[in-house]
Amino acid sequence: MADAMRAQVGALLKGIDRYNPENLVTLEKYINMQAQENTYDLEANLAVLKLYQFNPNHYQTTVAAQVLLKALTNLPHTDFTLCKCLIDLNKQEEEPIMKVMHIAEMLEMCQFKSFWECLKIDQELSASVHVITGFEDSIRKFVCHVVSTTYQTIPFDTLTELLGNIPESQVKQWISKYGWSLQNDGNIYITNQEENIKTKNITEKITFESVAGIMAAYK
Amino acid sequence: MWSDEPPASFAPPEYYPAYPQPGATDYDAHRYVTMLNRISTLSVPHVNDLTEQCYIIYKGDPRQDLEYERQYAQQTPSYIVPDVIKNFLMVFQKAINDQNLYEIQNAYENGFNKLTDRFFKTTPWPESEIIAPIVQNDHTFLVLYKELYYRHIYARVQTGPTLEQMFESYYNYCNLFNFILNAEGPVHLELPNQWLWDIIDEFIYQFQCFSIHRSKIGKKSEDEINVLRGHPKIWNVHSVLNVLHSLVEKSSINRQLEVYTSGGDPESVAGEFGQHSLYKMLGYFSLIGLLRLHSLLGDYYQALKVLESIDFNKKNMYSRVPACQITTFYYVGFCYMMMRRYQDAIRTLSNVLLYIQRTKQMFQSRAQLYDQITKMNDKMYTLLAQCLVLHPMRIDESVHSQLREKFADKMLRMQKGDIEEFTSNFSFACPKFLSPVPPNYDTPSVVNHKEPFMLQHKVFIDEVQQQILLPTIRSYLKLYTTLPLSKLAGFMEMPVEELKTHLMCFKHKMKNVVWTKGTSGLEGEFQSASEVDFYIDKDMIHIADTKVARRYGDFFIRQIHKFEEITRSLKQVN
Repeated sequence: MADAMRAQVGALLKGIDRYNPENLVTLEKYINMQAQENTYDLEANLAVLKLYQFNPNHYQTTVAAQVLLKALTNLPHTDFTLCKCLIDLNKQEEEPIMKVMHIAEMLEMCQFKSFWECLKIDQELSASVHVITGFEDSIRKFVCHVVSTTYQTIPFDTLTELLGNIPESQVKQWISKYGWSLQNDGNIYITNQEENIKTKNITEKITFESVAGIMAAYK
Repeated sequence: MWSDEPPASFAPPEYYPAYPQPGATDYDAHRYVTMLNRISTLSVPHVNDLTEQCYIIYKGDPRQDLEYERQYAQQTPSYIVPDVIKNFLMVFQKAINDQNLYEIQNAYENGFNKLTDRFFKTTPWPESEIIAPIVQNDHTFLVLYKELYYRHIYARVQTGPTLEQMFESYYNYCNLFNFILNAEGPVHLELPNQWLWDIIDEFIYQFQCFSIHRSKIGKKSEDEINVLRGHPKIWNVHSVLNVLHSLVEKSSINRQLEVYTSGGDPESVAGEFGQHSLYKMLGYFSLIGLLRLHSLLGDYYQALKVLESIDFNKKNMYSRVPACQITTFYYVGFCYMMMRRYQDAIRTLSNVLLYIQRTKQMFQSRAQLYDQITKMNDKMYTLLAQCLVLHPMRIDESVHSQLREKFADKMLRMQKGDIEEFTSNFSFACPKFLSPVPPNYDTPSVVNHKEPFMLQHKVFIDEVQQQILLPTIRSYLKLYTTLPLSKLAGFMEMPVEELKTHLMCFKHKMKNVVWTKGTSGLEGEFQSASEVDFYIDKDMIHIADTKVARRYGDFFIRQIHKFEEITRSLKQVN
């Protein structure tokens, strides 16, 4: 279903026809589908924002908010920034866009604890997020990505907190999904970072031939 | 006069015009007849013994209001075209009719500019109606002449083009593109690549000027606003996109580039039109035009997407116009910067800056191009400085030394987190963003023509704000190979928990998508090539730095030269 739709939309966006506002109905439906079925198509979503840019009277706040939330599910990619560049400043100050902008900033700064708290407290926000199937797990994926690049070992409790205080059994699922291992001391061993993160030495290499050329010029 | 509708194929029905459309030439014919009628009423005194200095400019202040201009245009101008201009135009026309590319290029690059400096430094060239009799009303030539005529007004006439001239120039581009695109077979016209690039470049530039002009409604008279309101189709974004897309399609340039990249013969897929240099090059330049246009609208994804068939790592036959090369790299670099792909931005910008450094002398004889390149050069150094502050890494030595020379202070201020400095650099180096839609003419007080700039500026500054502490953290990390979390937290005057968040942010922001292979500039994989890297193990930060040994090559070469000089002077003493 999603694949068929992707192909159909892909054809719609070919050439000059991508600027046809009559396509908006189909494209907006497609965004809805992405939200429900947990699929993602950045190009189509940007095309919608572009159509809004060209036809401001067609603009729909809820759709724009969905596009932005979907973009967050693709972190660490910078899709959110790309979307932000196409939404007028005054529209960024409307709700729920403003709230989405706020959580995006927390995520970009890796303030995961504050993010989960915010999501818990703010009813309106969690209602918007709820529409996006698998949103929270997508964010957890991003958390795991950041953890896997930053830590060699991380305390179990810290990870639990970063993942939004989910039950222990679920944390363990994430650990096994990424091939990490829980050690006896309560730390999780991520990977051997020493292998990847090494001091680089850059030295100048001058070959005899290149010096010979200069010397030969003076005889 | 403004009741003229643009040609059918450029009048967007509701959202965009279909292409090609029958009847597109009707308008053309209509305008042409009108023009001929106007010409027949002109009496151009034929005076041979005039010295060049007697040249009379009949046009008054180009800043007249529209009504006045209209009346004025109907009057019979007493206008005398000096012989030297006449001769030039006839030679120019002959070169185009003979399709002598060398002569066309000579007239275009030398003749026209020399005469401009001599006679039309700040005033317009004679109107096409006046020169029409000189070139026997040669339609093609007059359209091309007008392209130069309006471009010159935009560039040289201090007051800039009037609204009327903006409209007329738009109509002229419509005529030109209709002529090229709506012909049944390929038109028999070849022009130098430089000119073809200039046509596309100028077409977008004028669209940009018009859009910005249109959005500054605070200063406009009611009449002018009414004229704008009455002509929403002129310089409409859909028309501009349509022209570029049509040129891309007509030339099959994407297919050609794909075949070229895979080592095949592009001619085999070029089709009837794409085989001709005119179509092929206009197609290629339109891709670059689309890159620019999408960037101006803040659509960086689409901007890079349109270039997907171009292989920048392979020397290509299309890259012989330096201005086009430089424009391409500037916008690609800018897009990457906005997408937080700093490593790609740095690679793109330093490549082109090196290219400029090595080829700059070649352009010294062409003043206008030289100025343009110098300006772009400064903008790109500024962008590079910004990217390197956000993502320090090693770059080419000669580009680096230029950067140190010119931007050391600015970079230091940015490293210290001076947002003002980022702001001023961004506004200096960014393209002129624009809004694709007309402002709300009914509420002139709330329309802010700087809005498109402010949006892109905000996105960039938000990003900088998120990273603002990273340079400070980096400067501490650089001093150690291992550093306890608590110690760094002390330096940073923050709790360990907060520091951990910043360290994760550091890693997240320094891991960029980097292009690795293929022609698509959008593809890539996550890499971190930043100078300082680290990982956390329990309570300890382990740091990996990039150490650069002292360079001795330059030193030895200098000594070799010095020694040689000494021996030479010793010989002379003997």
